[in-house]
Parts: sequence; structure tokens; C-alpha cells
Amino acid sequence: MPLHNPVPMLDPIPLPAPYWVFKLLLAVTFTLHILAMNFMLGGMALALASRWSGSRERANRLFTDVATKLPALLPAAVTLGVAPLLFLQVMYGQFFYTSSVLIAWPWFLALVMLMLAYYGVYYVSARTHRQAGSGRGVLLASFLLVTVIGFLFSNNLTLSQTPSAWAGKYFADPSGWNLNLLEPTLLPRYLHFFTAAVAAGGLLLMLVAYFKRESDRDYRRYVSRFGGRAFEFATMAQFPIGLWFLVSLPPGQRMLFLGDNGLATALLAAGIAGAAATVLVVERALRQDNYLLGAIGGTGITALVVLAMAVMRDILRDDYLKPYFHPERFVVQTQWTVLPLFLAVFLGGVALWAVMLWRYPFSAAVKPQAQRSGAER
Amino acid sequence: MNYPVWDVAFGTGLLIAIVSILHVFVSHFAVGGGLFLVLTERKALRQNDIGVLSWLRTHTRFFVLVTVVFGAISGVGIWFTIGLVHPSATSSLIHAYVWGWAIEWVFFFIEITAALLYFYGWDKLTPRLHLWYGWIYCIAAYGSLVIINGIITFMLTSGKWIQTHEFWAGFFNPTYFPSLALRTAIALALAGAYALVTASRLRDAALKARLVKWSVTWTLPPLAIMPALVWWYIRRIPPELWNSTRGAMPTASHGAVAAAVLAIGTFVLVLLTLVKPARLRLAYSLTIMLAALGTMGAFEFVREAIRKPFVIANYLYDNSLYATPSATDGGFSVEAVDRAGVLNTARWVQPPAPGKGADVAAGRQIFRVECQSCHTADAYRGMRQLLTARQWDRPALHAMLASLDLMHNGVMPPFAGTDTERDALSAYLATLYQAGAPPSDGQRLFQQNCATCHEAAPGDSAIVTIRALDAQTASDSLSSLPALFVRMPDLRLSEQQRIILVQWIKARFSEAAMTPRHSAAVYAAMR
Repeated sequence: MPLHNPVPMLDPIPLPAPYWVFKLLLAVTFTLHILAMNFMLGGMALALASRWSGSRERANRLFTDVATKLPALLPAAVTLGVAPLLFLQVMYGQFFYTSSVLIAWPWFLALVMLMLAYYGVYYVSARTHRQAGSGRGVLLASFLLVTVIGFLFSNNLTLSQTPSAWAGKYFADPSGWNLNLLEPTLLPRYLHFFTAAVAAGGLLLMLVAYFKRESDRDYRRYVSRFGGRAFEFATMAQFPIGLWFLVSLPPGQRMLFLGDNGLATALLAAGIAGAAATVLVVERALRQDNYLLGAIGGTGITALVVLAMAVMRDILRDDYLKPYFHPERFVVQTQWTVLPLFLAVFLGGVALWAVMLWRYPFSAAVKPQAQRSGAER
Repeated sequence: MNYPVWDVAFGTGLLIAIVSILHVFVSHFAVGGGLFLVLTERKALRQNDIGVLSWLRTHTRFFVLVTVVFGAISGVGIWFTIGLVHPSATSSLIHAYVWGWAIEWVFFFIEITAALLYFYGWDKLTPRLHLWYGWIYCIAAYGSLVIINGIITFMLTSGKWIQTHEFWAGFFNPTYFPSLALRTAIALALAGAYALVTASRLRDAALKARLVKWSVTWTLPPLAIMPALVWWYIRRIPPELWNSTRGAMPTASHGAVAAAVLAIGTFVLVLLTLVKPARLRLAYSLTIMLAALGTMGAFEFVREAIRKPFVIANYLYDNSLYATPSATDGGFSVEAVDRAGVLNTARWVQPPAPGKGADVAAGRQIFRVECQSCHTADAYRGMRQLLTARQWDRPALHAMLASLDLMHNGVMPPFAGTDTERDALSAYLATLYQAGAPPSDGQRLFQQNCATCHEAAPGDSAIVTIRALDAQTASDSLSSLPALFVRMPDLRLSEQQRIILVQWIKARFSEAAMTPRHSAAVYAAMR
């Protein structure tokens, strides 16, 4: 039965800061989350795929180099995912909570899967540390779990922006065993994200090659080439997948990116140009064995492209929700007694985090006998 | 009512309980364990105790696998779960405290980074730098507790926030400091208890004995001062809430007893490890952990139970209705729903088709949106079990629902809805159980009809009143309860049942049957 108005009312408690502050924080933290998530998921994919990339010994070495980074990348993706989920709930709670309840069990089980995938990653890291290349089966299981989690996120977030689909699903099954499989954009959208992750996995390998200065030249070159090629193929695959995604959008939303919305159109053009430019930069880096250009240049441009995509995604969501979502109706009462404290803690936290990484001797193999100096880094 | 209700046959409340209890048991370890790691490492370095350092390295791996993985993900799990079960409450907490959550997120990020660097740093860092990461972890983890504690205690004692809606007014609420002190003690005690687990695996008997003694010094003192901290905590909780644990709400009372017994049990079990510290077994250390988990679970259960009927004290009921109407509540207050009706207000219900059984179908919908956040039909807090014990028929249910908020010393929210809806809910509830033969003994009559609001205790107003009247007058007075007190349910006991009930009360609380203490209580109540 269609509901007269399926969208729950706005929370009576005012927004504790202007709307744009949350928009900005959402865009920035979501971009960081997606980057970390893509490195993690793409890293897993390429570590598994490395088996078919050349000699067993080199592939095992690469597997170990990537798998031992996963226990850091996975928590990075998770912790960086908490913030956008928080800011999303401040602005879009009406939509997000409702769609979550509709797919409650898969949504809840996503965290159980995440925990299993997490333990799997620790296991593989320890295992391959002892015997290079072992633990592929467990990593495959973790990888599959994470791809399912991503698929569940795509289900929930597409459902959250299509309130007209809610009542039918809910009244057919209020026990939370729904998905959003009939949503036309679901598959291309998910593939778009997944392929981006493979590309980012390629960048991760190029970063590994760049920072592995002590490694032998052949290995470094192999890692860089394997990653670079993966990046190129995945990014080029994005052109048809992205087109599919665009075509699958309802006409009103599709036209946002084809002239109706100046910013969305410009960002799409910039995104495509940025992706193409990254492919060229990576190709040039591979030809010249320029690890710095491939790793830092490729990652830098990609980060900007991801930011552009995050803003496009936001424009798209707001357009989907236009009939239901009225940000101008938000009552704002900025919590001046605590907002500055958050900013101070945030900036201090970022600084401390940077110092923690700066002081850590990532490339040291053995315990140094004395306090390290900056020059030893 | 604003959001769809998630139907879970075994009860969403149970799901929250399981996720939360497991999380807090690990998250307190994550807080106390940080200090344990750095102080143990520092001590071992000063004493150049290689054995302890080597064990600590293994313990760090255990610590990271338990806290960084299970602790962090189950913390997000609580957030997911309350969002599914109490979306309105989650939304309120996010709107009122988003900057608190955001600050906590920064601590969380630092904490996870520092934990990983500390863990991997055993191989790479100088002792001094290693300890530096440990201290950062320790401070960031405690920072998380400092923030989260403000929000959890706000839910129990919202303080002046109700009037001002100001961040700090709710954050530094009446139970903030006692709760912080108590949770700090729990965190330190758990740090020692978890260490006993990894210590029990050691083969070197002398080392094991050293570590057991050291771990016990982390567990026993906090456990020993806990009664004082609990007493402080209880003093800051409004007495009417604490009454729930003193008989007014049976489950809360059982929880409080269980928490006390298990805490003492944990203390004794830990103390006994000192008898033969070198021979501590894994199974024994896991028994300690189980006792500690039980204590923690019972404590959190009691905290949640006494908060009822609210999910945010004096602001939002467990069924997501606002306690006080406001211009922006969308009609989701008890007052507004009384006027407009539940089925007209709730967005996610299907009006039943008219005809036979329509009232039961409507009642089921009302149950889903108004009761199901705490109760199920026949599982967790199941109505079937409750009603089988009480044997309320449809008229009795209709009468009882009118004064729902008086039950068990006010742990239930008021019924919100029209009289017709109250009747429909009664019709549905009456289908949930098999009616037995009407009770013919006074004690069962009292339990079924009076005990939800009245205590079988000499000081209770009903007992005092009936004892003061002669049998016939007392029996007659029970024929129209609302005439005695307007909020009393209009129960229809037969004359014979009334007489039996009065006789039982008079016999049970006769001077001869009561102890001097009871008599004093009656005297005090009469005055």
C-alpha cells in the first residue's frame, strides 16, 4: 500500500551547526573513506590476482607486501567511514534510518561479515609473514565478504534515496529481510565503485613500488607495472561502466550531468578528464620507470577525481530527494560552546596523527638501538 | 511511529542487549588495558624483566585482536542496532550530540592508529618511543570514555538539558561523574582480568606467578572500591528510578542482585588466584572472565531497565513518543496521539480491513508500533508469559491499559491512543494466552490484579487502607476502584473474589503475622 507520505518527519532538535558545515564535512570525510576503502579492497583484489602475474616467487612477495598492509588499511577504511556516516545521519537521518530498517538484517549482518573479514586479514598478514604467499584462501574469503558488504551499502544508500519504493518493500516483509535488487542503478553503481577500488589497488601497488627503495630493481618494476596496468585497465573500464550508470539514471537525474546542472556537468567533465589524465600519467610513469610520478602523481589526481565524484554523488542524492528533502526547513542553532572544541580536537588530532606517522620508522627492519633522528627516516 | 518498526520475533531489545554487553565488556578493557600496557612495560623496562616484556608483546597482540577488531566493530554495531531499533532516539542523540560524537571519533582514530603502531612497534621502536605510542593510545582511549560517558549518562539522567537543550547541561548531568569513576574502575579491573587470561598460558611458573600477582593488583583494588562508587552513582539517580531495583520492577531487581553477587564472585575468584599464582589455569581465568562479563552485563541491564519508560530521560519514551508535546514533534507526543489515535499518527501501519477480527488486527498493529520496542508476543519480555501469569481478560486489559504508566512504579509509558484503540489492543493481547480457571485464593488474586502497582508490603497504600477498614467495607470499596483513586483500573472482581482478597490481606498482614519491623512500617505509613 502506498503511504501518503513515507518520509519520517525531521528531528525536532535543531541542527547544531549550519547545514553547509555538515555538507563539507560529509564530502571530505567520505572522500577519505572511499580512498582508504578502495586501497583496501583493491589491494586485496590485486594481491589475489598477483598469482597470475608472473613468477610464483615474485607474486608471493607482492602478496606479502600487500597483505601485511591490510591490517592497517582495513581499520583506516572503517574509522574513516564512521565520520561520514555520522554527518549523513545529521542531515539525512529521515531517509537513512528508514532504508536501514527495511534491510535491517543484511545491514546488521554486514558488521558481522566485517568482523570476520577483519580477523581474516590479520590471519593472512601473520601467515604470509611467516611463509610468503600463504593464506590466499582466507584472503579470498575476506575479499568476498568485503565485496558483499559494499554491495549491501549500495543497496541501502540507493534505497535511502528512493522513498517511493519503501512502502511496497516494508509491507511485503517488515522483518528486515529486504534488498534493493530491482533498483536499475544498483548494479552499474556498485560496479562503478568496485572498479574504482581495483584501480586504487593499482595505485597502492605503485605506492608500494615507490616506497620500496631498498628492493631490487626487477621486483620494484614488476610491482609498479602490475599495479599500473591494473589501474589503467580498471580506469578505462570505468568509461563504459560510468556510461551505463549514467544511462541507468532516471532522465531527470541523468540530465543533471548533461547540462541541466552546471556544477554537476562540469564535475563530470572534470572527472572524466581527470581519469583520462591519470591513465596518461601512469602510462608515462611506467614507460619511464618513474615511480614518483606514477605513485604520487597518479594518487594525487585520483584523490581529486574522487572528491569531484563525491560532490557529484551528493548533487545526485539531493536531486533524487528533491520532493522530500528541504534543507531550507532545517532550524539551525549552532552549538558555539562545543563546535570550537571539536575543531581544536580535530586539528590537534590530525597534527598528532601526522607526528605519530612521522616518528614511526616504517622502513626499518630491525629495532634500532638508539633514538632515531629525523635524518634516519 | 515516525519510522517503520523492525519485526524481530525474538525481540529487538534482546539483540541490543547482546551487542551492547559484549561491546562494553571489550571497550572497558580497551580503556583500562591501555594504561596496563604502558605501566607494565615501564615497570618491566626499569627492572629489565625480559620475561614480562616478552609476555607483554604477546598480550599486545591479544589486546589488539580483541579491542581494535571486536571492540571497534561492535561499537559501530551498537550504533547500527540502535538505529534499527530506536531510529528516533538515535536521531535525537546524533542531533543533540553530534559534536560530542565527532570529538569521540577523533579520539577513536588516534586510538586505533596508536594501538597499531604500538603493536607493530614492538619490533621496530626504541623503548622510549614505544612507550610514547602507548601513552597516546592510553590517553585517546580514556578520552573516548570521557565523551561517551556523557552521552550514556545523559540518556539516564538528562538533567537540565530538558529545559535548556544545551550541550553541556545534558553532558555534565547528575550521574556523569559517578558513572565516569565507576567505569574507570571497571576498566582497570578488566585490564587485570584480561591479563590473567594471557598470563595463564605461560609455561614459566615464576614468570606466571609474577604476572598473576601484578594483574591481581589491577583487579582487586578497583573491585574493592566499587561499592563506594556504586553507592555514589545510586545517590545521584532519582530515587523513583532506583525503586525499580527494589522490587518495583522484578527484572531490574533481579539484575541488581545478580550484579552484586557476580561482582563479589569475581572478587573472590580473583583473590583465590593468589593462593597458587604459578598454577593459574586457562579455564580458571576464563571463569573469572565469565563472572566479570556477567557482572558487567547485569550492571548495564539494570541501567537500561531503570531508565524505562524512557530511552532519553524525560524526553523520549522507549516507543519513540515524546514525553512533552512541542510544535515540532510532528504529533508524536502522547497527548497528540491520545487525540488523533495511534493508527492515524503512525506512518508505517496498514489499517486493517473492516469486518470480523478487525479489532484484533488493529490491536496487533498498535502493539507493533507502541509496545514492540520492548515487548514481543511470546519471546523476550513476552506478553504471552506475562498475561498467562496475570490472566487479565479483555475488560481487565482495557482497564489496566488506562493506567499503564502507574504499573511497576512507573516503568511503563502511558498508553497513547483513543479508547477504541485501547480496546483493540486489549482484544489483541487477550488472544495471546489461554485463560485458566479464575483464581480462588487471595494470594493469586493479589498477584494477578494488584501486584503490578502495589507491593505486598505493610507500608503499601492498598494494604494500609484495607487493614484500616472492616472486612465488609473493604470488600465493598473494591467494587469500584476508580472511586478510591481516579487512576485505578476499573476491575470487576466478583463479590466472592473481593472477600477472599480482603481476607488474605488481613490475614497476611495481621499484627500476629508481622514482625516488629513490619509493624513500624505500617505505623509510619499510617502517619
